[in-house]
Amino acid sequence: MAEQSIVGPVGKVGMSANGDRSARARVVILLLSLALALSIFLSLTSGASDASAIRVIRDWLTEAVPIDAALAARDRLIVYDIRMPRVLLGVLIGAALAVSGAVMQGLFRNPLADPGLIGVSAGSSLGAVAVIVLGTTWLAPVTLALGTLALPLAAFFGGLAVTLLLYAIATRHGRTSVATMLLAGLAIAALAMALTGILIFMADDRQLRDLTFWQLGSLGGATWPKIGTVGPVIVLALAAMPFLSRGLNALALGEATAGHLGIPVQRLKYTAIVGVSAAVGASVAVSGGIGFIGIVVPHLLRLAIGPENRYLLPASALLGASLLLLADAVARTIVAPAELPIGIVTAVAGAPFFLWILLRKRGIVDL
Amino acid sequence: MIEARDISVAIGNKRIVSHVNFAARPGEVTAIVGPNGSGKTTLLKALTGELSYAGTVLLNSRDLSGMKPAEAATLRAVLPQSTSLSFAFTVREIVRLGLISGRSGVLPGEDARLPERALARVDLDGFAGRFYQELSGGEQQRVQLARVLCQVWAPVLEGRPRFLFLDEPVSSLDVKHQLIILNIARDFVRRGGGVVAILHDLNLTAMYADQIFVLHHGQLAAAGSPADVLKDELIEKVFDCRLKVGVLPSANMPFVLPQSAA
Repeated sequence: MAEQSIVGPVGKVGMSANGDRSARARVVILLLSLALALSIFLSLTSGASDASAIRVIRDWLTEAVPIDAALAARDRLIVYDIRMPRVLLGVLIGAALAVSGAVMQGLFRNPLADPGLIGVSAGSSLGAVAVIVLGTTWLAPVTLALGTLALPLAAFFGGLAVTLLLYAIATRHGRTSVATMLLAGLAIAALAMALTGILIFMADDRQLRDLTFWQLGSLGGATWPKIGTVGPVIVLALAAMPFLSRGLNALALGEATAGHLGIPVQRLKYTAIVGVSAAVGASVAVSGGIGFIGIVVPHLLRLAIGPENRYLLPASALLGASLLLLADAVARTIVAPAELPIGIVTAVAGAPFFLWILLRKRGIVDL
Repeated sequence: MIEARDISVAIGNKRIVSHVNFAARPGEVTAIVGPNGSGKTTLLKALTGELSYAGTVLLNSRDLSGMKPAEAATLRAVLPQSTSLSFAFTVREIVRLGLISGRSGVLPGEDARLPERALARVDLDGFAGRFYQELSGGEQQRVQLARVLCQVWAPVLEGRPRFLFLDEPVSSLDVKHQLIILNIARDFVRRGGGVVAILHDLNLTAMYADQIFVLHHGQLAAAGSPADVLKDELIEKVFDCRLKVGVLPSANMPFVLPQSAA
């Protein structure tokens, strides 16, 4: 076994000879908090327009009467109604995807597990695509009744439906078989993608354009009402995750041993599954398919601070949020005034990284 | 005290353990022996609540099936035959997991030092900073034992005895460490706890066990003290090979000498 490759670099900071990495983890979390603050500042101040967030904030702080009222009003509009919701959405979704990845990996005891893997994202996509394509025909009553909420809700329930179906398939006599769940998840994801494919086949040209952009992922649709819809779901799901960290640590030794250590394993699994599908469903609903955050972020952090979930989960939230904001800044500015779908940015950066993990772990990864 | 009445366990359609009665008292090392596939591990998993069973298991007179995991975790700790790990934990991080239930039984604030003390007991001084996956199989097994010891560090908590369930604790160890681990078990029962261990080495069983339960084809073939149970005829029949049971005169202790396969 290639021990060095699974262990990764062991730095000198905080990793003292006694094997306690908590001091280092706290330092990393502090640095990541600063990085997130910096990313938020950068995102607010950069974009296709030359609107100055600094000036807006200064005017607001000093209650000064701006010299050019029209320009100030335009800047305020851009900063308050375009950049701020977008930044907030980026933070929420980056955190949600990264933490969901970390929790899934803990649950499946596999560093390659990802919400995309068990079909949650595919289920959410199916729900959203159904609304885009069938919204004016079969599903017209639904879309009329729900208005702009129809798409996020459909994506959310699509993800939840897949998760509950999976849970029903994989659970027998109160015990969940992770292997069954993983394999069933692959099958259900394939089915959901096939159904999505049928819908895409039925779509007209205008819908196709919508679909493509949505499937590639973008934070471009960020508005305050959308944040009002999915924000509370994501915040609630994220708030529940820290309570799982102790149980997920124990689960690293296997389900039976976690039970012997006093962890109510079934309840842990159920909470994790519902929390992850809520967070991922809500994220996919507003931003489409943004890949690789859920797998890259926890993996990087495990190399730096170890797999202890008490630190891994908050650090994942911070790094996921920062990385997504940076990816979004790239997406917004690299082809300005046009915009690249953010899913392309995360995939271009994330896919090679994923392959690198696979190559390093070749031979010891077993599903 | 652990008491199991009329325990049967089936996995799928196959019945692995049939109508076994079992008891383990505090102050004693209780060994479960038997050939491969005789149902030892399955019986142990029923006794720890890991597998569902027909019959009754009582843990300190309380029905195990009605017990929450957290409560059972304060009364007993379990060492599995092997533990695979998916992430790069350090040895200290693994051992510290034994403290999750929060009832090690030492004074508050001393918990933090337990991992080091437990590692010293299993002869792994200075291993806390190593990565678990870098260790040999025998060292990994001793790390897991250190974790288990942390969970029930005090053999008696609030007047109630606590139990160690050990599934082949010494099978992957060299002889020195076999003795070290079994001495830990003896020390645990001397201080009022109880130990249930699956053992393969009949001589070590004779040296360290107070009670022996012999399983054969999922049924109880014999139970009693080493002197009662370790008899040529029974052991030859159960293990299906020729062997000679003698008695060490100096210690009045039985020993088993294999002769040849049947």
